[in-house]
Amino acid sequence: MSTLLPFHKAILEQIHDPATSELLILARGLGLRRIICTLMKIYDSPQNLVLLVNATPEEESEIGEELGIMGCRKPGLRVVGYETGSKDRQDLYKKGGLISVTSRILVVDMLQGDIPTHLITGILVMHAEKVTPLVLEAFIVRLYREKNKNGFLKAFTDQPEHITSGLSPLRNIMKELQLRKVHIYPRFQEDVKKSLERRRADVVELSQPLTEAMADIHHAIIQCMSTTISELKRSNATLDLDDFNVENAYFRSFDVVVRRQLDSVWHKVGPRTKQLVNDLGTLRRLLYYLLTYDPLQFHAYLETLIASNSTTASGGVKQHQSPWLLTDAAHIIFQVAKRRCYTVSSGSKVKLPQVIDLVDDEDAWQALDEIENGHANDKGKQKETRPTWLPEGMEPVLEELPKWNLLAEILQEAEEEMLRHESLRKPITAPNIGSNTVLVMASSTRTCGVLTEFLSTIDHDAPNGTKGRRMMLRKLRLYLWWKSKLAERKQDGKSHFALPDGPGRVGNGFEKLYGEGDNISEALKKKDKVRAERAASRRRVRGGAPAAVPRDASSKNDSQASVMGEIQNEAETFAQYWESQGGGTSAESPLTLADDLTLLDFESGALESEFDEHYGLLAPEQTVLVRAYSDDTDDRMLAEIQPKFIVMFEPNMEFIRRIEVYKSSHPGLAVRVYHMVYGNSCEEHKYLAGIRKEKESFERLIKERGSMLLPLYEERRDGVSDAVVKTISTRIAGGRRELSTQPSQVIVDMREFRSTLPSLLHASNMLVIPATLTVGDYIITPEICVERKSLSDLISSFNSGRLYTQCELMSVHYKTPMLLIEFEEDKAFTLDVVSDIKLYAKPTGKYPTKKKPGGGTDSDQAVLLQSKICLLMLTFPRVRIIWSSSPYATAEIFRDLKMNNPEPDPTMAIAIGADDDPEVGAGVNAAAEELLRCLPGITAKNIKHVMNRISTVRELCEMDIFQVQELLDVMYTGLHGKHSISVNGVQNLPP
Amino acid sequence: MSSSTPPVPPVVLGTGNNIIINPLQRGNQVLDCIRNVGKEFGDIIADYQVGRTTGVLFLSLKYHRLHPEYIHIRIEKLGHSYTLRILLILCDITEHRDPIRELTKVCLINNITVLVAFSFEEAAHYLSTLKQFEHKPPDMIKERIDKDYNAILRTALTSISKVNKTDVETLRTSFGSFANIAKATPEQLRNLPGFGQVKVKNVKNTFEKPVRNNA
Repeated sequence: MSTLLPFHKAILEQIHDPATSELLILARGLGLRRIICTLMKIYDSPQNLVLLVNATPEEESEIGEELGIMGCRKPGLRVVGYETGSKDRQDLYKKGGLISVTSRILVVDMLQGDIPTHLITGILVMHAEKVTPLVLEAFIVRLYREKNKNGFLKAFTDQPEHITSGLSPLRNIMKELQLRKVHIYPRFQEDVKKSLERRRADVVELSQPLTEAMADIHHAIIQCMSTTISELKRSNATLDLDDFNVENAYFRSFDVVVRRQLDSVWHKVGPRTKQLVNDLGTLRRLLYYLLTYDPLQFHAYLETLIASNSTTASGGVKQHQSPWLLTDAAHIIFQVAKRRCYTVSSGSKVKLPQVIDLVDDEDAWQALDEIENGHANDKGKQKETRPTWLPEGMEPVLEELPKWNLLAEILQEAEEEMLRHESLRKPITAPNIGSNTVLVMASSTRTCGVLTEFLSTIDHDAPNGTKGRRMMLRKLRLYLWWKSKLAERKQDGKSHFALPDGPGRVGNGFEKLYGEGDNISEALKKKDKVRAERAASRRRVRGGAPAAVPRDASSKNDSQASVMGEIQNEAETFAQYWESQGGGTSAESPLTLADDLTLLDFESGALESEFDEHYGLLAPEQTVLVRAYSDDTDDRMLAEIQPKFIVMFEPNMEFIRRIEVYKSSHPGLAVRVYHMVYGNSCEEHKYLAGIRKEKESFERLIKERGSMLLPLYEERRDGVSDAVVKTISTRIAGGRRELSTQPSQVIVDMREFRSTLPSLLHASNMLVIPATLTVGDYIITPEICVERKSLSDLISSFNSGRLYTQCELMSVHYKTPMLLIEFEEDKAFTLDVVSDIKLYAKPTGKYPTKKKPGGGTDSDQAVLLQSKICLLMLTFPRVRIIWSSSPYATAEIFRDLKMNNPEPDPTMAIAIGADDDPEVGAGVNAAAEELLRCLPGITAKNIKHVMNRISTVRELCEMDIFQVQELLDVMYTGLHGKHSISVNGVQNLPP
Repeated sequence: MSSSTPPVPPVVLGTGNNIIINPLQRGNQVLDCIRNVGKEFGDIIADYQVGRTTGVLFLSLKYHRLHPEYIHIRIEKLGHSYTLRILLILCDITEHRDPIRELTKVCLINNITVLVAFSFEEAAHYLSTLKQFEHKPPDMIKERIDKDYNAILRTALTSISKVNKTDVETLRTSFGSFANIAKATPEQLRNLPGFGQVKVKNVKNTFEKPVRNNA
């Protein structure tokens, strides 16, 4: 691992003391992971037990790896997941060292006493910005502090932007983590500044203007956005919507802001407002795609957009059109986007071509290309010959993204520079500083793919803007093929619906387009996808190399399975064309063509050699690496590759800081950075605004720290005092009976620890006892058993019938079974049915009245949640329902219900319903259990047996019929007692 | 909804097809919203009798705030009649947390099930549905077994987080059967459209991680 910079050391000096607890807020890109790892290395010792909490699986493995590199690998970082048995976990905890634990498991272990809480040396909490009173981490801290006052707790975050909403957000986080000290290190902090600005990287800022067409679209999208925003403001006049402006709408967080503003009235706002909020997201995405997708992809995306906007999921005409689609600006977007790809000369219907043997011709052409291998020669050919597969009347325009050209120039310059250096200072420079790799960083793997392809097919002698002509032509061909598939589907479906006969041009207006929208049917969409799949898999078989399957082709087919409107006419003509050119092969030829697309796996080592083949300009040992921005992992990548030339294809604040850190920690390394931005575009604005926002949030945090009132943490009272109050009630006359000093306790099912309620129950002074319950989620008293359902759970478990089984079970075992319907905090307390009720009131007959009972109801979408609740009540008259507006309210209700009632007995509760499951309390693969539950033949009653018998779901699939029979037979015996073993066993034995 | 107390008649069996309404409820807006079922007035202890053994009390939280004792009197009068006793609460105030908590407790003691409606339409919908479903078997909410293979496949696979219906379709068409999907390699999955790293990981974890840590 590379050296620590002075400011890293300063930070570590401040926070390394194991006697103190604090929160560290560091600007992104300054190497938070490096600090955490160094800290962990300091603490690593078998005498210590240090827990890492709230790390994602990726982070766990990355940190583990980094610790290994730093030489901390005797045990290193151990990861505890659900697979680790509770015995193993206990051992692990006892042995000490560095352990990363999933929050849910840690909570259960702490509650059950599996982990010696008082012996924990300290806890490191990642992603502190996400801590709220409701999350498990807050629960962990509470449990930890209850028993352990001396251990440290260090929390880390590099997302200051997240800690700005609401009143005193920093204080809230610190309160939940029970911290009193916070260190804030923005980029403008003195130490950081001093360390980083001593050696500046050589940065070349390149501002690339948009092409005319792109600028037009860009402008039009912005216009659409402002229309949408003003529409939104108009329809919600009562709200404080000052923050709603186009500038803010560039950011993804804008949606959150809007939702937070509207949440309190979300159930009252009409579908129109919801649509508007959605539209803003779509438009923002469009802006991004405009700058990163190639024109064909962008155009195809727009086509999909139109299609999906004009139909609903079920195929009907959409009721609420997105208003921006109807504006002139939208019209401009669609037209210009198309003009960037190709023009169709008007008037002439596309004629059927004379050339028949297209595929051969194409192959020959390519073969020639390979043999000659001379670009000049080839180029001339390309210029003259118009590709034979192009339908007549269609003129390819194929505008290229201007940044591609820029990238090509930069690479050339970099190469010249390298050569110059080689010749100049070869004898002087130390050989091991820096590699000649050129690192190109882009925002997504998708962009990376396109860039790789571009670089491998680049034509250096072509004039600017046409260097990637070859790639674009290939993409155009794929696009045409995709469109023809559309038309094929149309023809297949002719019996289902009438096709529009007239050519619906764009100019004819959108009404027409939308009118056609409902033509698409679910079945056809499916069919198309099936076909695409088949084509893809056929290709896979033939090629024998699954990695080379053209991602482009298949993803296009999938994501754009439903394109409509004026497009379809064109598509039809193209299809005719394809058909005329060799029928069956048409489906395959583009895929064969795509064979040589160098869509590579970016992790693979083969990449470099691959590049050398294609990119002949550079000397053999010099390579170009294209990567996507990721998180702190980039630091290590930089340190490993040690590039001298870095091209930032898109601006990224974090990465610039990473380069600064990289540069500063490698003295003597000359790094040149090319930083590309589209001038006057949202990209530039977004970048600048992002920097500003981070700075502002840091300033806010510093201000808040200055004036923060730190709470004194009260000692948590022991349950005893509370219990006394509880039991002296007026109903026990004079309190003569002996007072029970047992604290209030609630038995909670293990699986429920995913929700927030257990934490809140604990916070309201109840003893939470985790257990694996077969019946119910919470046992409040010996008689009351509660099944908790959030709204979405409620709907899905009604559909799957699971709720019915659960209620059945609860009714059998408990006197008072209860169903808890829990709404979310801050969300509206209502069932989202406003529109449904309207539907029902209309005489459309959608609602199953008495006239058409039974049969039809299952398929009827309009069967309401309320009806199902009614039916549940009628079926189980003893089931009570608790309506709770938030988890907080639930905790209060639980406390109320426990009043004057005896405490539940955990062993009893576990025993109830659990037939004879020996593995009670063991870790369970929740996802697999859920999956098993859905399989036919597996019921709530026999699932435990199946799970005990098989090790993985895959194993179950590999069993033959006898094994399955035997398995189910075991289930049977488990259900019906021992005596039936012999009878069934004999019957089912294989002959 | 006045709290005046008429003499208590025994449970009245109406014609059987109508909701029987306590005359006290005359003027309640809910009445206008009840559709699809017949209505008749009759002397009953509950406010609405929506089945031979089902009685419903109606309480608007606004009213409850003004007359907190009213509902207790009504519950007392209800005694032990009806097997399914429902308190239909119309939640028409914003400070609903405390009253609902308190009513939940009262109802638990008195064996009454709470239903919360958020509008008159919804309340009326509950009433009419309870009547319509009086003799309906619980098939609608029961586990359905007679589904076809694809439907089962869909419900089973969508239970994996991040996997949607489109993905199920993709999986089905490319692998054919559940068993084949279980055997698919991560590389195969990654090549399917719409499958990113996270999704592939989720699917693989579900199929290949041990169900139980029996070790």
